[in-house]
Amino acid sequence: MAIIEVKKLSKSFKVKIKEKGLKGSLKSIIKPKYKIVKAVNNISFEVEKGEIIAFIGPNGAGKSTTIKMMTSILYPDKGTIKVLGYDPVKDRKKLSYEIGTVFGQKEQLWTHLTPYDNFKFFGAIYDIPEVAVEKKIEELKTLFELEEFINTPVRNLSLGQRIRCEIVASLIHEPKVLFLDEPTIGLDPVVKENIRTLIKRMNKEFKTTIFLTSHDVGDIEKLCKRVIIINDGQVVLDDTMENLKYHYLNKKIVDAKMKERVNLDDEDGITIIKDKGYNLKIEVDTTKRSVADALKLLNPDNIIDINISNIPLEDIISNIYKNKD
Amino acid sequence: MRKYLFIIKTQIMSNLQYVFNIVFGFIGYFIMLFILFNLWKYLYSDQSELINGYTMTQMTWYVIVTEILWMSLGGRKLCNKISKDVRSGNITYNINKPYNYIGYCLSTHLGDIFVKGLIYTFLGMLTGLLFLKSFPDLTLVNIIVVLITSILATSISALIIIAIGLISFFIEDSGPFYWVYSKIILVLGTIFPIEYFPNIIQKILNYSPVYVVSYGPAKLFVDFSWDKAISIVLAQIIYILIAYSICYFIYKKGVKRINVNGG
Repeated sequence: MAIIEVKKLSKSFKVKIKEKGLKGSLKSIIKPKYKIVKAVNNISFEVEKGEIIAFIGPNGAGKSTTIKMMTSILYPDKGTIKVLGYDPVKDRKKLSYEIGTVFGQKEQLWTHLTPYDNFKFFGAIYDIPEVAVEKKIEELKTLFELEEFINTPVRNLSLGQRIRCEIVASLIHEPKVLFLDEPTIGLDPVVKENIRTLIKRMNKEFKTTIFLTSHDVGDIEKLCKRVIIINDGQVVLDDTMENLKYHYLNKKIVDAKMKERVNLDDEDGITIIKDKGYNLKIEVDTTKRSVADALKLLNPDNIIDINISNIPLEDIISNIYKNKD
Repeated sequence: MRKYLFIIKTQIMSNLQYVFNIVFGFIGYFIMLFILFNLWKYLYSDQSELINGYTMTQMTWYVIVTEILWMSLGGRKLCNKISKDVRSGNITYNINKPYNYIGYCLSTHLGDIFVKGLIYTFLGMLTGLLFLKSFPDLTLVNIIVVLITSILATSISALIIIAIGLISFFIEDSGPFYWVYSKIILVLGTIFPIEYFPNIIQKILNYSPVYVVSYGPAKLFVDFSWDKAISIVLAQIIYILIAYSICYFIYKKGVKRINVNGG
């Protein structure tokens, strides 16, 4: 059963435009001009219970606007949204008890207080009885490994520790859906990995549906089974990670160190990415030519060293963005 | 209600970090009081003389109370915070939480000024005793009533300032509105009691916020009467309802206009 249903959703913003210079400034006071920017344009999708879904797109694609409409922050112009059966516009308060939000770029914790006091605060605003809050804090403290710093003021925590606490704060009321907006932004690779592991563990343990936006391909690749790509306010791809890789990973990168130079200029299904004499990097389109075939062209006896890899997911996603422009 | 009390408690806990800042801030209050004390000394020929129904001692205590109310209020900070939250779009992060935004702002602000109010009250009373060597003739019950009216006065002030801050939904800067409000309260209610003004202005002031946010508690402190106390508390309750409704109306209208682009 779909836990989130978005149908034909649209949202436009009225943006003031001003001609350049002092004259333009004066003109904009007397007769202001506006233009309409379509931030989200007729998008539809559904999310199933327990899914971890990646909602990605370039800057200005409409991701945050969509999330803000799903979490009652912004009002849609057209279309309908149902999150856990609630309409975010009409049932704002009821919905707020069922969802959690973490905005990686925005602190929601009280920095002078300890994480423990913060969690107690969140427990109180979600009307959770004292005993239940204590129990939940204990449970999440173990799951998110907070023992070391649960009594240290938030302002003295590292960014990684703070993000862990932000996520825990948004889980105190046991939300059924968690919206994570760039949760790993600014974190180093080790901490990122740690946060991903914890998110995965949380999804497994509490069956929380996770709606994730991120520019980090690692987050998407390691956490999500499904991806929705949005660009210019429209959904350009809604598919499983497996399918995305299957359809878009029909190209292999062959990086070889050769004894002798090889000329592959006019070979069908092969694109030369880099040719530095004895170092050759080619892209093999496996729908036209098999990798084995490409290796034959290189002549195995002629190869000193070779590395065959998939196209990075980052490149695939960038290509999808570009192709839909 | 429990959540709003918890918000106040959390803000108090957070603010205990700044006790020394508050104590140092009292220096400004002390200087202001010292100037006014000397002004009254100059205007009054002797301590028993009455000007517009106030003795010099009463006038000084009046200013001590109104200044405690005004200086511990931190109105500019509250107005700037709300105005900034609205303009930057930060307000959006409060919208999807299960509390009322106006209630949240009021609770955080009351928590924010609680410690300051306590310290200013203690030091203000001490300063009064130092200057005047006497204390108004009040029973414990009278003092409790004055405290209640002071809390209500602070809540009304905060609600009015929240309403002013929320004007930022519609115009770029609500600062000038706050400036006008603060000067009205300062001149017409903080430094001089209502009785100091011509009759026609007195009639207007009796129905204005000045009556409930500064004059009321100070008047009861220097010249307590139950008639006055009842009329002040009633006026304060009506003002709370009006100020809250205005805040709610501006917020409801404004929140639909939020444009938050990007993440």
